[in-house]
Amino acid sequence: MSSRARQLGLLLAFGGVLLVLPLLLTPNLVNAVIKMMIAGLFALSFSLAMGQAGMLSFGHSAYYGLGAFATLHLMKAVERSLVAWPTPLLPLAGAAAGLLCGLAFGWLATQRTGVYFAMVTLALAELLFTLAPTWISVFGGEAGISTMRMNSWSINFASDRGVYYLTLAWVVGSAWCLWAFTRTPMGRLALAVRDNEHRVRFLGFNTHGAKTLIFAISTMFTGVAGALLAIANEATNYTIFSAQASANVVLQTFIGGAGTFFGPALGAAIMTFFARVTSDLTRSWLLYQGLVFVIVMLFVPDGIGGLISVHARRLRASAFKHLTLPYLVCLVVGLLLLGGVVFTVESVHVVLSDAYAVLRRANGGALVPYRLFGRQFHPLSPWTWSIPLVSILAGAALLPVARRLTRHGWIRAVGESAA
Amino acid sequence: MEFLIVSVLNGVVHGLLLFMVSAGLTLIFGMMGVLNFAHAWFYMLGAYVGFTLTRTVGFWAGLIAAPLIVGGCGALIERYMLRRVHKYGHTHELLLTFGLAFIIEELIKLFYGDFPVNYAMPAYMKFAAFTLYETNYPFYRLFMGIVALAIFAALYVLLTRTRVGIIVRAATLRPVMVEALGHNLPVVFMGVFAGGAALAGLAGAVAGAFFPTGPNMAVDFGTLVFVVVVVGGLGSLEGALVASLMIGLFISFSVGLSWSLSDLLALVGLGSWAREVGGLLTLQLSTVAASMPFLLMLLVLLIRPAGLFGDRQ
Repeated sequence: MSSRARQLGLLLAFGGVLLVLPLLLTPNLVNAVIKMMIAGLFALSFSLAMGQAGMLSFGHSAYYGLGAFATLHLMKAVERSLVAWPTPLLPLAGAAAGLLCGLAFGWLATQRTGVYFAMVTLALAELLFTLAPTWISVFGGEAGISTMRMNSWSINFASDRGVYYLTLAWVVGSAWCLWAFTRTPMGRLALAVRDNEHRVRFLGFNTHGAKTLIFAISTMFTGVAGALLAIANEATNYTIFSAQASANVVLQTFIGGAGTFFGPALGAAIMTFFARVTSDLTRSWLLYQGLVFVIVMLFVPDGIGGLISVHARRLRASAFKHLTLPYLVCLVVGLLLLGGVVFTVESVHVVLSDAYAVLRRANGGALVPYRLFGRQFHPLSPWTWSIPLVSILAGAALLPVARRLTRHGWIRAVGESAA
Repeated sequence: MEFLIVSVLNGVVHGLLLFMVSAGLTLIFGMMGVLNFAHAWFYMLGAYVGFTLTRTVGFWAGLIAAPLIVGGCGALIERYMLRRVHKYGHTHELLLTFGLAFIIEELIKLFYGDFPVNYAMPAYMKFAAFTLYETNYPFYRLFMGIVALAIFAALYVLLTRTRVGIIVRAATLRPVMVEALGHNLPVVFMGVFAGGAALAGLAGAVAGAFFPTGPNMAVDFGTLVFVVVVVGGLGSLEGALVASLMIGLFISFSVGLSWSLSDLLALVGLGSWAREVGGLLTLQLSTVAASMPFLLMLLVLLIRPAGLFGDRQ
């Protein structure tokens, strides 16, 4: 019971922080948090199909995009005074679009399972992606469509703050609905279908109907996420349907941990923030994102959420003292390896860039020193290359030590918690 | 008539090229059950290896080294990555290759920049094989077709007529029995994965010299390759060949035709109605050519998921 209360307290504290956040942050960061919340909702709704029902969809960007386009069309209608529709209820258009298309496409896709299901969803999304630029009346061609937010209910939606609270309300409401859904008999059935569909069918359930419905609920909330994006950006174009967008949500969900409820949202928020920060700093940020994903797939198959939930379930608070030292060593190892890789990648990037080529030509083709992290490095000097080399070798040498320490610390911590 | 012959020729060559890439993908899926998302990225890797070696050593060296290097990468990926996550199931393997595709693309962008590179065939291969209605037909297109056909023949003989082929095919059906007979199963799987990757690498080195070699070539090709293996039947080599040719021909014809649904409806007297409705009904085939392969894939998946030649769901 106390763990339940603690969870509730944590959630309330988190909600409180989200409520006061826009008063503390710069407009740029408020916008970043809006995007993080939208990505979180997208990942949560995706993982209802993936994590709960085991349906790996490679085309969820279709419903994200349809939600966005439906909302934009409604916004345009409001702008031209064809209908009166309050801005805070605009995401309902996205939800409707997501639900209807999810029912139709889901009915088709859920006839297949596993890889074949993934291929059907991929084909549907690619169809939309290739059709959208030619279907100008609906998707606005290559330029897409854009419109303006209207103020309503005497709330000012011209500012980011108004959009922030609108997004927050919808994301929290949708997340609660998604969570509540997992507690319903239907939500339990989703787990059963994932684990053994044959058996569920033998028990007399209509599994195709159930999967269609679960898929449609997932796409409905994906539509809401797309609608929120449309409201925040006031524009979109056909690239929202791209395989890249579908891929992103898959990456984020698995980094966050597809087996837990809040893991995907956490992963999406972290990766969206990561993308926002690193894309300003380096052009290789997609490489780092790919590396993070592969490392998570190889070594942390349950994702960040899985890691957290293992600690929360197995350990008492008092047992964490056994893990402080091992985790510090792990952190050092991680930073050493990361430093070596980042230094190498950024050096290669600078040395092969056009600006450096111009610099070389100005100096008669000689390999002149380059600037990185505010320091000068010479590309041919052994000192330059010894930095990443030593860093990576030290990290690699300490890696077995860190693993052994962690294993021992973990055994002791679990032992104390069980006693 | 000219349009017909040129379209058929181009379609067949494009189809054969598609086959070179999809052959490896369908083999890997058939043997290991792994849908290798990174396959088209191996193709791109092959093109860039070919480009690098053409500049330093020579075109033919690149053609020989590209499959070896890409195959080596494939072997390492299978040995140190895929085998690790095998116990978590096929979804995990699929996702891992998906992440690898990301990394390969970004590494190539890191070293070669965001724009296409100037990878060209040697000057002595730039001649017209024959002249057709005053259009010169490039010899290199025929060369690509011949390489692809040679690969198909070699693969077919290897799989059906040799001892290695028997072991590989047996490992697909009865892995435990093959292992009990003393064959090293992990090595067989590694070999299949490396072989598939090498094929994609060779295709990249051959095709990259004719088509643009840039960081977008994998994305453009990637989904099309999936279409081919799904339509042909996942795991079937003959299916992949037939589906590649079909899709190659389809693309080369649809680019030049301006048919639309309203023309079709006009045959039953609904033409003017369809033109009034507009929208999807008046879109011309040439503008929606890019969507057609996905429509085909969707229909195959829904009606006959085993594909044209596949024999399992």
